[in-house]
Amino acid sequence: MTVAQNDAAPAAISVRNLDFYYGAHHALKDISIDFPQGQVTGMIGPSGCGKSTLLRVLNRMYDLYPGQRATGEVIFDGCNIIGPKVNLNVLRSRVGMVFQKPTPFPMSIYDNIAFGVRLHERLDRAAMDARVEDVLRRVALWPEVRDRLRDSAAALSGGQQQRLCIARTIATRPEVVLLDEPTSALDPVSTARIEELLDELKADFTIAIVTHNLQQAARCADQVAFFYMGEVVEVDSADRMFTTPREKRTQDYITGRFG
Amino acid sequence: MTTHTTTAAAQAAPCAGARWQGNSVSDIRRRMVDRVATALCWAATALVLLMLFSILFVLVRNGVGGLRWVTFVHVTQPPGQGGGLANAIVGSLIQTGLAVLIGAPVGLLVGIYLAEFTATDGRLINFVRFVSDLLLSAPSILVGLFIYMIVVVPSGHFSGLAGALALSMLVVPVVVRTTEDMLRLVPLAMREAAIALGAPRWRMILFVCLRAAREGVATGILLALARVSGETAPLLFTSLGNMNWSIAPGRPMASLPVTIYQYAGAAYADWTALAWTGALLITAGILMINITVRLGLGRNRK
Amino acid sequence: MERSATSPSALTGAVKGNGDAVFAAIVRCSAALILLGLGGMVAVMAWGARGAFARFGPGFVFDKAWNPVTQHFGAAAPMFGTVITALLAILLAVPLAFGIAVWLTEIASARIAGVIGTLIQLLAAVPSIIFGMWGFAVLVPFMAHYVEPLASHTLGRVPGIGTLFRGAPYGTGFLTGGMILAVMITPFICAVMRDVFLSMPAVLKESAYGLGMTRWEVVRRIILPWSRSSVVGGVMLGLGRALGETMAITFVIGNANHIGWSLFSPGNTIASLIALEFPESAVGSLKFSSLMAAGFLLMLISLGTLVCSRLLLRTKAAGR
Repeated sequence: MTVAQNDAAPAAISVRNLDFYYGAHHALKDISIDFPQGQVTGMIGPSGCGKSTLLRVLNRMYDLYPGQRATGEVIFDGCNIIGPKVNLNVLRSRVGMVFQKPTPFPMSIYDNIAFGVRLHERLDRAAMDARVEDVLRRVALWPEVRDRLRDSAAALSGGQQQRLCIARTIATRPEVVLLDEPTSALDPVSTARIEELLDELKADFTIAIVTHNLQQAARCADQVAFFYMGEVVEVDSADRMFTTPREKRTQDYITGRFG
Repeated sequence: MTTHTTTAAAQAAPCAGARWQGNSVSDIRRRMVDRVATALCWAATALVLLMLFSILFVLVRNGVGGLRWVTFVHVTQPPGQGGGLANAIVGSLIQTGLAVLIGAPVGLLVGIYLAEFTATDGRLINFVRFVSDLLLSAPSILVGLFIYMIVVVPSGHFSGLAGALALSMLVVPVVVRTTEDMLRLVPLAMREAAIALGAPRWRMILFVCLRAAREGVATGILLALARVSGETAPLLFTSLGNMNWSIAPGRPMASLPVTIYQYAGAAYADWTALAWTGALLITAGILMINITVRLGLGRNRK
Repeated sequence: MERSATSPSALTGAVKGNGDAVFAAIVRCSAALILLGLGGMVAVMAWGARGAFARFGPGFVFDKAWNPVTQHFGAAAPMFGTVITALLAILLAVPLAFGIAVWLTEIASARIAGVIGTLIQLLAAVPSIIFGMWGFAVLVPFMAHYVEPLASHTLGRVPGIGTLFRGAPYGTGFLTGGMILAVMITPFICAVMRDVFLSMPAVLKESAYGLGMTRWEVVRRIILPWSRSSVVGGVMLGLGRALGETMAITFVIGNANHIGWSLFSPGNTIASLIALEFPESAVGSLKFSSLMAAGFLLMLISLGTLVCSRLLLRTKAAGR
């Protein structure tokens, strides 16, 4: 397999020879892939192929669960983040994550955003207000919630909640944003809005998105990686991947022959 | 035998035409048994409801007469001199309040331990949960004896604080139970979302999980309060009771249940009347808390 | 988007502050308190009881005497009363609880069952002293005037079991105590049964009804076997509560340290004995120590029962 050195953009994260185990189960096998800075990398493949697992390695989410371990190298900012002595809280503030289902915290809209910011920065009232407004504007939620920032976030619609979660993630000013099937629980209109959002966000963030929806990968991603049975079969620009895939298995998957 | 008839009925029923119900002897017998069993179920339910209403009726009939202003503002007096329950009511409030203040935080922390530390402390957690469940139904009079031995004897005197400590030992397991149950209902995704923002675990637990579970946890604390406010046995040898006005936690303190206990068995009509009034007050309070909690829960489930 | 200068961004290095370790330590200490609580109770009882056990030896458990004048104490009578009243309570409460649980889950509509179920659970919230007062004011006269005379004139003449129903109709005694306890623990047992019945997969019940079984046959042959160990666990839980109950029973038991086969005869229980006699015994006296020893025995009996109950309830939960 080949590691695509995509165009000129330097890699924000480089994964080299990564293996991952859920106990005895070998879930990722010798993965190597780069996530170019300021680009959207789409990760596709059938269920259980390891794409979400890779995402959870990139912010060490797997650390929550005993029995899960990774070997190899994941280089972020010159540091192997799966090595020892990594400050996980700092890592997670710099590599943010958005989940499949919206996960608003049981607090107000404002506090949902301030919660993450307060973990890492001490801002005065005005600066915090400005930060909240800024991120809500960026996710195009500001006009809808500006008058009810103190209301519970649970009252928002699913699509609004997911945009709030994105706002919450970018409010801590990460360099990389990981999205794990962020639209699979949403209706088509909300999905479209999130996809538009991704396009704007990539100016400031490196984005990795796992998706089941090939059209979504084609629409949003600059680079696409196809995962199969714990391996990266092919990484290429979205254009080439969906028009002229090099691998037979990729071709079979994107033409719907399995998965 | 029943298995035979069952299969026979199952095969026969669709083909029986006008005769939907079998008329064989065994069929009639089966239906009779069913009727009798159903009737007995009705009877059991009716009987226990009757007990409940009988208790409430007796409480109201005997206790309502004492619901006068003096009962709430006067302290207990020797027989024949009137008097009220003011010291007992206030003493009960102080002791149950202190018990919750002491017991609820401990219960909360243990509940957190049971729900959130399974990954690292699995076996120990099962044991702690087991012990907490034992404490939940341990004889409450022995809790009183225990506190008597470790607090009252060394300090040399009965005290409201000792009473509160005994009650707090009953608060803890109730709060542990509900806190653990409620924390387990918090979705994994919400925990991961907090961790993904870079939150340390303790902030995730206290500010996200506990917050998500706050209504359930508050319910547990209220139920614990309701439970201990009627407890008599743990107070007998700890706060003892006090005929006079006493709100100092370091001294013997009156409480409604203990006063009721002392007065109910007395031979003086005014004392027994006060005992019934106290019983009515305490039951009404406890049932009110329970009903509020249950209505609140029902509303939130919808 | 720039990272603000104040935010820590070094990936390596120690975690700033050690909140997690401190928090874990606090939480583990609290858990240790629980263990200390129960362990301390057992240890303190044993310590307080050492005088009595040293004096009377294991015979304390089987000795019927309780005589402060001769300084001769034994726990047999109150232990007998404790076990008999608790068993009577179970005997009466289990059919009641079972009937209610079946009624709530199989007979009543969901709406009605919700209301009635809440009422039944309210009974569990009523403080035990209220049960005691109610028993004293309502049940004791009722037993003395109607049930006991009637029973001794009818059942009392039956050879064999007649012994159980003879004796003066005081109204107080083992049977009345057992009845009060039964009313108290019925809601607990019922709640456990109801939860298990409800947790049964609907498919099982539906296919049984589909075979043409009557409601009773479904309860008897499908639901009961399926939920047996939990039901037994719930019953044991009720038994544990009945054994340790003080206030409800002390009003109606009659408070006589007496062993007899008549259910109408007054008796005593360990908890009731402690409640009555503890205030009149000086710390360090033999009576004091004997009471502690009785308390220690009660602790063992009720913990043993509760342990069985929890094990039964847990195997079911784990097996599900």
